Amino acid sequence: MKLAGADVGGTFTDVIVVDTDSKAVRIHKVPSTPEDPSEGLIEGLRSAGDDSMRVDFLAHGTTIATNSLLQYDGAQVGMITTRGYRDILHIARHQRPLHYSIQMEVPWQDRALIRRRNRKVVTERLGPKGEVITPLEEEEVANVARELKDAGVESIVIGFINSYRNPEHEERARSIVEEVYPEAFVTTSASLFPQFREYERFTTAAINGFVGLKVRNYLVHLRERMRKEGVKAELRLMRSNGGVATEEFAARYPATLLLSGPAAGVLAGAHIGNASGRTKLITFDMGGTSADIGIVTPHGIAEATARDTWIAGYPVLIPMIDVYTVGAGGGSVAYIDPGGAFRVGPRSAGARPGPASYGLGGTEATVTDANLVLGRLRADHFLGGAMTVKPELADKAISNLGSRLGLSTLDAAAGVVTLVNHNMANAIRSRTIQKGHDPRQFTLVAFGGAGPLHAADLARSLDVPEVIVPVYPGITSAMGLLSTDLKYDLIQNEFMLDGEVDLDRLNRDFKRLDAEARAQLKRDGVAEDGVQILHAADCRYVGQGYELRVPMPAGELTSESIKRVWDEFNGLHKEEYGHAFPGNPIELVNIRVVATGHLPKMPEVPPPSAGSMKAAQIGEAEVYFAANGGGLKAHKANFYERSQLPVGARVTGPAVLLQVDSTTLVPPGASAEVLKTGDLLIRV
Amino acid sequence: MAIAAPQVDVIEYEPGSPPAKEIDPITARVIAGALDSIALEVGHKLTRMSYSSIIRESEDFGAALLDVKGRQICECALSTPLQLGPIPGYMQGVFRLFKERGDRFEEGDVIIHNSPYHGASHGPDVGFCVPIFARGELVGFSFTTAHHLDIGSMSPGSCGIVDAVDAYAEGLQFKALKCYERGRKNDAVWRMMRDNIRASDMVVGDMEAQVAACQIGAQRYVELLEQYGRETVDAATEELMNYSERMMRQQIEALPDGQYSAEGHIDGFADDPDPSKRDQLIKVTVTVDGGTMTVDLTGTAPQVADRAINMPFVGTVDIAIYVTLRSILLDQATHEYVPQNSGLVRPIRIVAERGSLANPTFPSATIARFCAGNIVADTLMRALAPICPDRVAAGMANMKVIAYSGVVDQMYWVYMDITEGAYGGRFGKDGVDAVDVLYANTRNNPIEDIEAHYPLRISRYELRTDKSGAGKWRGGNGSIRDMQFQGRAHMSLEGDGHRHAPRGAFGGYDGTTGDVVLISDGNELHLPSKFQSRWAEAGDIIRTVSPCGGGYGDPLERDPQKVLDDVLDEIIGVESARTLYGVVVDPESKTINHAATQELRAAMSKQAVAGKA
Repeated sequence: MKLAGADVGGTFTDVIVVDTDSKAVRIHKVPSTPEDPSEGLIEGLRSAGDDSMRVDFLAHGTTIATNSLLQYDGAQVGMITTRGYRDILHIARHQRPLHYSIQMEVPWQDRALIRRRNRKVVTERLGPKGEVITPLEEEEVANVARELKDAGVESIVIGFINSYRNPEHEERARSIVEEVYPEAFVTTSASLFPQFREYERFTTAAINGFVGLKVRNYLVHLRERMRKEGVKAELRLMRSNGGVATEEFAARYPATLLLSGPAAGVLAGAHIGNASGRTKLITFDMGGTSADIGIVTPHGIAEATARDTWIAGYPVLIPMIDVYTVGAGGGSVAYIDPGGAFRVGPRSAGARPGPASYGLGGTEATVTDANLVLGRLRADHFLGGAMTVKPELADKAISNLGSRLGLSTLDAAAGVVTLVNHNMANAIRSRTIQKGHDPRQFTLVAFGGAGPLHAADLARSLDVPEVIVPVYPGITSAMGLLSTDLKYDLIQNEFMLDGEVDLDRLNRDFKRLDAEARAQLKRDGVAEDGVQILHAADCRYVGQGYELRVPMPAGELTSESIKRVWDEFNGLHKEEYGHAFPGNPIELVNIRVVATGHLPKMPEVPPPSAGSMKAAQIGEAEVYFAANGGGLKAHKANFYERSQLPVGARVTGPAVLLQVDSTTLVPPGASAEVLKTGDLLIRV
Repeated sequence: MAIAAPQVDVIEYEPGSPPAKEIDPITARVIAGALDSIALEVGHKLTRMSYSSIIRESEDFGAALLDVKGRQICECALSTPLQLGPIPGYMQGVFRLFKERGDRFEEGDVIIHNSPYHGASHGPDVGFCVPIFARGELVGFSFTTAHHLDIGSMSPGSCGIVDAVDAYAEGLQFKALKCYERGRKNDAVWRMMRDNIRASDMVVGDMEAQVAACQIGAQRYVELLEQYGRETVDAATEELMNYSERMMRQQIEALPDGQYSAEGHIDGFADDPDPSKRDQLIKVTVTVDGGTMTVDLTGTAPQVADRAINMPFVGTVDIAIYVTLRSILLDQATHEYVPQNSGLVRPIRIVAERGSLANPTFPSATIARFCAGNIVADTLMRALAPICPDRVAAGMANMKVIAYSGVVDQMYWVYMDITEGAYGGRFGKDGVDAVDVLYANTRNNPIEDIEAHYPLRISRYELRTDKSGAGKWRGGNGSIRDMQFQGRAHMSLEGDGHRHAPRGAFGGYDGTTGDVVLISDGNELHLPSKFQSRWAEAGDIIRTVSPCGGGYGDPLERDPQKVLDDVLDEIIGVESARTLYGVVVDPESKTINHAATQELRAAMSKQAVAGKA
C-alpha cells in the first residue's frame, strides 16, 4: 500500500510518500501555490517519484480555512436567529480587546463575519432546559431565507438561544432553508458544538459559514484535479482535533479544519517521541515567523479548553489540540523600542526582505543574522547550499543594534538568541509548570527549519533533560499526517449534581452517542474492529463556569465507578489549579465520546542509509556559546553532515550538524546520539 | 502620597531612581516576560476556580504582584483596569493600618482589606494580600481583588446601594484583617462573613479562590527569585518601572505646555427634591508642564454625604485618570508594549478639594461611585481633546449595573448584571458599539448562563438604533437589554447618563441619553438612573437602554458609502441619512442619489456657516 501525506503551508508544500511493503520513503518540498493550492499538492506528489501518483491514501493538511479567516476572505454569510437577539454577534461579550486603548480595532465589529443587514430574526424561543417557550414560526424562516437568497447570501447560519439543550428548532429551520434555497451552505450552531454561551457558539457557527464555501469548493476542485491526474487515493483531511475526516465531513464542518497544519506537527512530534519510548513530550516546531508548541502526556495530546481558543480575534468552541503559537522564528526582528527596551519579535522580516544577511534589502537584525554572527549557521550551507547569504550584512545589522545597546556585536547577537529563546520558554512554561507538569520529566521534540538550532538552549533554560530531533526536521508535519486516525468528538449536556446522578440516563446517552459515532465511522469505511471509543465527562464544582475533563470508564457506569470519577475530578482540579475544594458539590456538565477509526499509518522505516563518522565530518569552526559565569566564549566546534552519521554514532558538543532542511546545534557539555529510528537524541 | 494642604489633597509619586545594581537590557526583558506570565497565571486560575459569574464571566477582578514597598511590578492582562489599577492603593492602606496598629507581616498570613478610605476602590471589591517570603525575608506581595456579589449591605447585592447614608450602611468593612495568621485560618473572621453576607456559599467560595490564586502568585515569585537572585529581580523591576515612567513622560513632554479644562455633569439623583443632589458638576483642569501633568478636580461639586455616589480619591478617581491618560497617550493599539506598573503614574499629579465628590471624607458613602468615575474619565478626555485630537474619542456613553435577588427556601440568590456603554466617534473610526466604559473592561454574562441559574430571562438584547451622535465618524450605538422576571424578585440599579448626553467633538453631534423602563402589565414606567430596593413581579420586564456615544467631526463630511451602509444595516433610517448627514438615499432601491446628495450637503453647509455668522 502506498500512503502519502501532503502538508500545504503558506510557503512550502511538503509531501511524503511511503510504501508500506517496501518501506521506501520519499520526501519532497515544493513551493506552495496560494492561488490554487491543489496545483502545488499535485506537483509535490509528482516530484516525489514516478509512481507516486498511484498512492492509495492521501492525508492532507490545509490552511484554506485558516487563511480564509485570517485574511477575512470568505463567503457572504447570512444568519437566522431568535427574535430579540439580532446583535449577539456584534455586541459579543462587550469587552474591549485591549484594556488601554481608544484606537483599537474590534474584530467582531470591524470585521463582522455576518453583517447586520444579513442577520434576520424569526419568532421562536427555547427555555434553559430546552423546553419550547415559543414554537418556531416556520413561515418566517422560509421568508427570511428567501430574503437572504435575494440579497446574494451564499451561506446561512442558524443560531437560536438555548439550542444547546435542544437542537430541534435549529434542525427544523435547516430543512426549511434547504427547501427554499437548496444551494445555500447551511450551518446550525448546536450541530457544530452544543455548548452554552451564545456568543461563542454563534461565532463558531458563523466561522463555519464564513470559511465553508472556500473549503467546500477547494475540496471539489481538488478531487476533480486528482481525477484528471489519475490520483485515485482516498482523501482524508487533517482537523484541529488531531484526527482526520472524510471530504464529506470536512466540507460540512470546515471550521474543524482551522488548525489543520499545526495539529499535524504536534501529532508528528508525538509519534516520533513515542517511537523512542517517550510519553511526556513538548513538541516544538519553529519556522521563519513563528513557533508552534504542543504538549503530550501519557493521557495523549493536550487539548485546548473550549473558550481558551481564539483565532483572528474570534472565539472558537470546537475541540482542538492545544497548539500554542509564539511569534518567534528565524525571521523575528530584533530592535530597540522608543523607551529603550530591547525586543525580539513578534514582527518578522518574513521571506522578503528577510533577514539582513539574505541581501534582499532587509537591514534589521533578525534571529537568523544573530545565529550567523555566533557561527551557529554556515553561510555556505543554507538550504544545503541552494541559497547564498552574506554574513557581512548580518554582522553589520547586529553591530548596529549592539552599538545602540552599548553591547559588542557578539554580545548583542547572543542577546537576540537569549530573548527569542526566552519568549518560547515562557510559552512552554505556560503549558507545563502552570498546568502542573514538571518539565524535568519531559522530552523536547524539535523540528521545523529553526527548531533544532534553538532546541538545546531552550531545553536547558526549562530544565528539560533531552531533545529529539527527527530525521527530516523540515517535513515533520507531513509525516504527522500519516500517524493519525479518523476522530470524532461527540458531546451531550447533562447538568447533573454528584448527589443526584441519574445513571440510567447517563448510560442511555453514552449508548446513543456511541452508536452515532460508530455509524459515522462505518460510513467512512472503518471496520468494526478498527473502532476505538473513549468516554469522558466535563465536571466542575457547582457554580463554577469552567469544566475539567475527567476520563470515564468504558462500558456500563455503576455507582462505584461514578464515585471514582468524583475523586478523579478533585485530583485533576488540584493538578490544574494547585487547589481543590473536596466536599463541595460537583456538577457533571457534559458527557463526551471520542471515537477513533483506525487508519493505515506510516510503518517504522529504516533510517536513511548513512556513511560513517569519518564521512560525516566536514571540519571545524569557531562557534560562540555563553560561558560559565557570564560572557561569551569561542569554542572550536565540529561540523558534521548529518545524513552521513550512522545509527549509534555519538557526537559531543560543541558541534553543529548540517542537513538540507535544518541545522542542529549541540552545545558544549551536551552530547548527541543517532537513534535506531534515525532520529537524533541530544542530552543537554 | 503626600498631603499638601488642608483643603486640597494631592496624589503624587517620586520619580524613579536608577536600580541599585546595574541590569543588562536582556535580563530585564526576560524578567519582565516572566512577571507578566505569573500575573496571567494567577488571574487565569482565579477565573477558573471562582463560583460567581461576576468573576468567572464578567472578569471583574484584578491580580498583581507588588514589591516590598508596595509598588506594582506587574498585573494580569485578563480582568479589568478598575480592579487592577487600585491594587497599590490597597497596599498602601494596609501599610497605614498595620503601622497604626503596630501589626507586622508574617509568613503564612493572608490579609483581607476593602476600606475605601484606605485605598480600596469600594467596599465590594475585596482585596486579599499574601505577603511573600523568601528565605525568611519579606520580599513582596501577591494581591488579588474581586467584586463580590454581596458584602452584607443594607439591601441585597453589592450594586445599586445608592441610598446608603454612610460607610456603615454599605456592609462589612475589612480594615487589613488577617484572615489567615501564620498559616492558620482565622475561623472567627470567616464565620463572621458567612453569617453576615447573603449568598455566602458563593461569596466565600470566591474568596477562597482569591486566596488560592494569591498563593500561586507568591510561589511563582519565590521561584523567580531563586532562579535569578533577589538583587537581579529587584534591579529588573526597578528598571521596568523606570521604563514605563520614561514612556509616559516622553508622551507628556510632547504635548504643548499650558492649561486645558472641561466640565461634565452626572445625573445624581434625578428624582430627589434637593437640587444639590442633582446634576453635579465634575470639573477637570489639566496643566502640562514639561514632563509632568497635573489633573486638578477643583471646582467639582461637594460630596453628597448621605448618598453613595462619592468617589474614593485613591481607588477610583486616581484610576479613572490614570487609565484614561494611559489609553490616550500610550494607546496599546498604536504603541509598543509598555508594562503596566507603578512607574507609569509617576509623571502624573492629581489634586482635589477635600470634601468634594472626588475626595469625600469618612464616613461618606462611596459604594455606588462607579458611574461618576466615568464622567471624570470622559471630562478629562475632553479637556485633552484640543491638544491631541487624533488620539481621543468624542463623549463616551455610561453604563448600568443591576443587582437582582430573591429568597428560595430561606436562602438568598443574588445575581449582578453589568450592561454596557458605547464609545464616542474617534479620529478615523466610528465609536465602538455596546462596549464597556473607558476605565473598566468587564464582560457581559451569557444569556444562557443567566437563564440556567436564576429565575430570570433576557427577552431582548440588541443594539439601539438611530440614536448615536452623528459625525464624520459617528458615535457608538448603545444596547437595549430586557430582563424578564420569572418570579417575584428584588432589584437595585446604579447608572448614569439619563440627563446628560455624551458630547460631540470637533463638529460632531451629541449622542443620546439612556433610560430604564419597568414594563408591567403593558404599562411603561420610566425610572431614574439610580434606585435601590424595588420589587418586580413575575412577568415584569426591566428594560435598560444605554446612552449612545457622541459624534466626531462634521457629519456632512462622512463618507456617503458609510452612511448608506448604516442605512442598509438598519443602524440609521433614510430620514436621518438626509437630515443629519445630507445623504439622499432612495428608500426603494437603497442607493445613493449622488447629485441630490451633493446639492443637499452644499445647502446644509451654507446654512451652518450662516448660522455661525
